[in-house]
Amino acid sequence: MRRAFADTRFGPPAVGVASLLLALALLEALIAAGVINGFIVPRPSQIIAAIPRIIVEEDVLDRFLQTALEALWASLLLTVVGIGLGMLLFRFRLLRLATETWVAALASAPVVLMYPLFLVIFGRSATTIVMIGFAAGLSPVILKTVEGFAGTRKVLLDVGRSFRLTNTQLFHKILLPAALPTIFVGLRLGLIFAMINIVGVEFLINFGGLGQLINELAERYDLPGTYGAIFFVVLVSVVFFFCAERIERWLRPGM
Amino acid sequence: MAAAGNVGAIAPTAQRHVLWLRAAIIVVVLAVWEAVAASGLLFRDVVPSLAVIGKAIGRLLATPDFYRNLSITAAEIAGALLIGGLAGVVVGIAIGANRFLARAYESFIYYLGPTPKIIFFPIMIMWFGVGPGSKVAMGVLSCFFPIAVSAAGGMREIDKVLIRVGRSFRVTAWQMVSKIYLPAMRAPIVNGIRLGLGVAIIGTLLAETKLSNRGLGYLIIQAYSVFDMPRMYALLTVLFVLSIGVNALIGRLATPGRRGVD
Amino acid sequence: MASSTVPRTTVVRSSAQPGGREEHALEVENIVKRFETAEGTVTAVDGFSLSVAPGEFLSVIGPSGCGKSTLFNIIGGLMGGYEGRVTVSGETISGTHPAIGMVFQEESTFPWRTVIENVAFPLEIIGMDKRARQMRARHFIAMVGLDGFELRFPSELSGGMRQRVSIARTLASEPRILLMDEPFAALDEQTRLLLGDKVLQIQQDLRQTTLLITHNITEAVQLSDRVLVMTYRPGRLKRVVKIDLPHPRDSEVISSDAFGRYVAEIWHDLRVEASLGMHEDESRARNEKSKR
Repeated sequence: MRRAFADTRFGPPAVGVASLLLALALLEALIAAGVINGFIVPRPSQIIAAIPRIIVEEDVLDRFLQTALEALWASLLLTVVGIGLGMLLFRFRLLRLATETWVAALASAPVVLMYPLFLVIFGRSATTIVMIGFAAGLSPVILKTVEGFAGTRKVLLDVGRSFRLTNTQLFHKILLPAALPTIFVGLRLGLIFAMINIVGVEFLINFGGLGQLINELAERYDLPGTYGAIFFVVLVSVVFFFCAERIERWLRPGM
Repeated sequence: MAAAGNVGAIAPTAQRHVLWLRAAIIVVVLAVWEAVAASGLLFRDVVPSLAVIGKAIGRLLATPDFYRNLSITAAEIAGALLIGGLAGVVVGIAIGANRFLARAYESFIYYLGPTPKIIFFPIMIMWFGVGPGSKVAMGVLSCFFPIAVSAAGGMREIDKVLIRVGRSFRVTAWQMVSKIYLPAMRAPIVNGIRLGLGVAIIGTLLAETKLSNRGLGYLIIQAYSVFDMPRMYALLTVLFVLSIGVNALIGRLATPGRRGVD
Repeated sequence: MASSTVPRTTVVRSSAQPGGREEHALEVENIVKRFETAEGTVTAVDGFSLSVAPGEFLSVIGPSGCGKSTLFNIIGGLMGGYEGRVTVSGETISGTHPAIGMVFQEESTFPWRTVIENVAFPLEIIGMDKRARQMRARHFIAMVGLDGFELRFPSELSGGMRQRVSIARTLASEPRILLMDEPFAALDEQTRLLLGDKVLQIQQDLRQTTLLITHNITEAVQLSDRVLVMTYRPGRLKRVVKIDLPHPRDSEVISSDAFGRYVAEIWHDLRVEASLGMHEDESRARNEKSKR
């Protein structure tokens, strides 16, 4: 019985959304009853009411554009530098053997913790934020670029050689198309890391777009506003992540 | 994987070349660094000389104060990993085992995973205070998601034929879990914990840099506020070495002397 | 050997009735299995029956999609919801049964266990102590010719060796009936022939009652005493071919005239069914294309 329901198209997601709404309603009731302190957790209804207010009063559109612009710059840097370095590592095998583990190790290092250092170098500016986003997203782009090229099946290259393709043709007709899907995966990962860290650093250094909004509202002790802004930023990130995934899927037909 | 195999199987001469190249890259980078430091082209102390950084690292490692702060941060991260990891594994297994739960709730976890967690810090301060509690909460919030997603994936990716083998030998439910599910999920769970540790470190330390009076993150932001660049480089170096080292160590856990696991 | 440590098997063995019942080690009567799909009800198996005599090597051969694997899962007890009966020495069974040992088509060794730990698995499950099960496992590892590889992990073995580990693991549970679903499907032709020799030799030595499900004609003729040919969906019995090739038999037999005649005879029947299956696949692919 439940098995059948689990397989219906809209049933389970509806239950998911319903339980979220139920949780909010329960929270509302508990705060109203005084079980949960309303000065720590504002009522969900207050939070929802706060969202239009912050959108109007806090220049959310402006802030959103500011964050988006930072993300755009970071992604441009990621694309050019990350893919470039990846191709370099693929082209020179020895270089790859020497440095690939370093790049992988960098991926597991808390790069964003360098933000005070970047503050000293670039000042409290958008450049710091863009550079942190770039640094945080770099290693997956490099690694996936190398993986994409190096993972091209040998038989495909042999097919190319059997048709007597030149090296340039081999690259354009075979290597690049074979590597692209994997490169897109790397770009998506890099972009998501960049986005997370951009918003995070905006919050931490109290500068820029959406991240700063939360910091300001929190410093003003605007409780419903803070919760509402956090909800809004999470929503923006989820939409961004969702779109990145869709675009990547759309860019790799037949896979 | 084939690519990684390629890299693994290299001739001894090539291996020597790789070592030489690595040494050369390190030497060149350090030389350029030193030259920039000596040139005085950049703003004071942004690029301190290597000797100064080395001395700062030595000084840092010689002060008991550093170890006190390190142990506070380590304890916060360990607590976060314990709470978040346990919750992540349990939720992941439930979602991986049950199609209904997966379809109802997995997208929440999947899409909330890659959102910036640090912005929840103001809320965590309100809930858990300005002390270690809010730092642990940040770590938990960070590491829960990747661990839950890996555990769910690992649960689903168990080779179905292994479960059929178990059934054909009439294993009990407990034997199915202990002898088939858990060993089969070892690699994805360890991998999830690895990812989780990485983001828990970030979550905890960022929180410490924002509002705290102890811990490694506090030391870093303190070095920034008094503009002690050598000390900041020293702290970041130690932090990077520690996190990369612990990460590699956990990676080993996935296959302790057992080449057959992957 | 050490049979006292496998209580379930020995009990069932001793309960086997003397006389007429003992004629069939395994009997499958009138199996009907339907699946509900998006396109309606599909009958996978329709009134299929077979019986395997003790010590006999019986093969069921059919084209892809004839319901062979469904039959395998039903007899092995991994699939329910069918009509008909499966009996072992006269006792009707439902669900998995210790008398039936299954070998799967897919690679099914546990990658986290060494060869010996894999083979000892069924003994561990029934709670045999470590020393006894290691001894028993070594015996079956030697039987499939893998002595010296006890401490290796499956990832260090070839596909053929891994499949031998699976076979040894199933033999270690000492089933009365060995049930195999295309165990050599993933292997190359030569390995398949050689492994067939090994399996046949073991089967003869143990007088192991064996039911093999396959789509490979050479394999079926090389190994079997009888071959049952199945029709394409729904799977029914098309005919029975008795293989009168002498024992002991090895893969050299495939060059004999008699072997060639058996293969031709079976292919004659199978060809019609296989082409039915191919046509249906083509039309399904065409429909899916037009749906897009």
